[in-house]
Amino acid sequence: MGPVFLHTLIRSRGSIIVWGLSLGALGLMVVPFFDVYIAQEEQMLQFIESYPPEFLAFFGGMAAINTPAGFLNSQLTTLPVVFGIFAVLAGSSLLARDEESGRLDLILAHPISRLALFGGRLAAFVTAMIAILTFCWLGFCIPLASSSMDVSWGQMALPFVSTFAVVLVFGTTALLLSMVLSSRRKAAAAAGAVMVAGFFLSGMANLNADLKPIARALPYEYFQGGYAISGLNVVWFGGLLAVSALFAVLAGWWFQQRDIRVGGEGSVARPAFLDRLRSAPR
Amino acid sequence: MTGIITNELTKSYGSVKALAGLSLEVRQGEIFGFLGPNGAGKTTTIRCLLDLIRPDGGTASVLGLDPQADPVAVRARVGYLPGELNLEDNLTGRKILRYFSALRRRAVDWDGANALAERLSLDLDRPVKNLSKGNKQKIGLIQALLHKPELLLLDEPTSGLDPIVQQEVLGLIREAKADGATVFFCSHVMSEVEAVAERVGIIRDGRLVEVADTAALIDRALHHVKVRFQAPVDEDVLGGIPGVSVRSRDDTRNLTLQVEGEMDSLIKALAAFPVTYLETTRPTLEDVFLAYYQADDVTAEDK
Repeated sequence: MGPVFLHTLIRSRGSIIVWGLSLGALGLMVVPFFDVYIAQEEQMLQFIESYPPEFLAFFGGMAAINTPAGFLNSQLTTLPVVFGIFAVLAGSSLLARDEESGRLDLILAHPISRLALFGGRLAAFVTAMIAILTFCWLGFCIPLASSSMDVSWGQMALPFVSTFAVVLVFGTTALLLSMVLSSRRKAAAAAGAVMVAGFFLSGMANLNADLKPIARALPYEYFQGGYAISGLNVVWFGGLLAVSALFAVLAGWWFQQRDIRVGGEGSVARPAFLDRLRSAPR
Repeated sequence: MTGIITNELTKSYGSVKALAGLSLEVRQGEIFGFLGPNGAGKTTTIRCLLDLIRPDGGTASVLGLDPQADPVAVRARVGYLPGELNLEDNLTGRKILRYFSALRRRAVDWDGANALAERLSLDLDRPVKNLSKGNKQKIGLIQALLHKPELLLLDEPTSGLDPIVQQEVLGLIREAKADGATVFFCSHVMSEVEAVAERVGIIRDGRLVEVADTAALIDRALHHVKVRFQAPVDEDVLGGIPGVSVRSRDDTRNLTLQVEGEMDSLIKALAAFPVTYLETTRPTLEDVFLAYYQADDVTAEDK
């Protein structure tokens, strides 16, 4: 599992650097803007109030924007969707990309079990996510020294811990779908649809309470955003991790049961036992 | 212990039967050529042996082990070259070999790797994306051979290689056998199978239709004999010899005969006539292979 983990992580280094630096740069720009906002609070409030109320409600209201938690929340609202793009693409490609190219045949012709391959790659994927979010967190922490935002580095980590849990669900959903569907593109599209739908439904549920039950079924609803600096909702966090773990276990189980697709085949990858059930005499 | 045994192996992809009861035995230490056109089931057989796919029925044994029950132990003793080789483009040959050796939990035998690269005229320090198909194939061959496996599963090993390197690869296969390895060698290039394989199996529609020693199979095949007589000859006299038939005739003096089995009775019959020219053509493995497929096609059409 070790060589697979290291190899996959090294292969992801480009993504880690590009995503990490981009999201870190976002923090470097956003945090100093809090002081600008406080200095011009009245004008900014007038500006915000000029937006349609539906728009403000969609983003959960802007009433607390003059507090560090409210301000950070307004800036981090879309982070799970933006970072989710990485998770969905990386999750759906974790095994299916090599499988579709035929590379997995050669890797699995070596003395490594499917479970070890799956575990090594999943561990590298999670590590890459943590590395990117660490860059992002540092980007938000470094300007704190020269900002009036009264938030410790530890408190600042909590919104990214919440982001990690939500985005991990998107990634493992994509991984599971890539094991079941006939191509990684379909898996990425389906997982991406779940991610975007969750974002919009959570916002729309602020306008229409009837949508709340549907929104609650989707991971984005459990993203705490900037409000996490006041304390992480451990139940939500644990629940999201449990869902991710379940999806990862299902994906791993499916990967162990089924045939490895022929390169370029893109066929539905049924586990062999399903074929046996289908062909069993009735 | 046998190299490979499959017993009534079946595998379907939806409605397509890739293997329809394949029973095969490859002896330890031999080079076995597995022949068949595209889609006959050659690659499916290898993928079952490596537990990349699971058969619907039947059993398989590789070096005495069950590939489904103990895939890691099987793969530790096997070297595999896939038919459709795809390597990571950004890596050099050297990095790929390092990764694959790490998967085998062993240090790279760089002396061996460099020696093989030199024999195959390959630069291990160039990124894969800058290599031709043939050079990528060479990396595939080195990774299959480097750990000196007990069993080599080679799917079209000379695909994309120039004739000189092809000969070098056939030499490597012979050397692997000399070192005690069993070689299971899929190809539809008959000349190279004929050059190295001691026994061949012919697969058609997922079934083994023939297994024999390569030389015996060729000897058993139809020989063509061209004869020019000094004077016209009644073709019925020659055509009536058991195992001999007239294939074509230009005139009453020039005949082409088809001989099945030994030539003795034909030669004795020809002795009665003044012959000005005689030519026999040794059949190739390709002739044998095509005969199997054409015969089956005729049978299928008759049905």
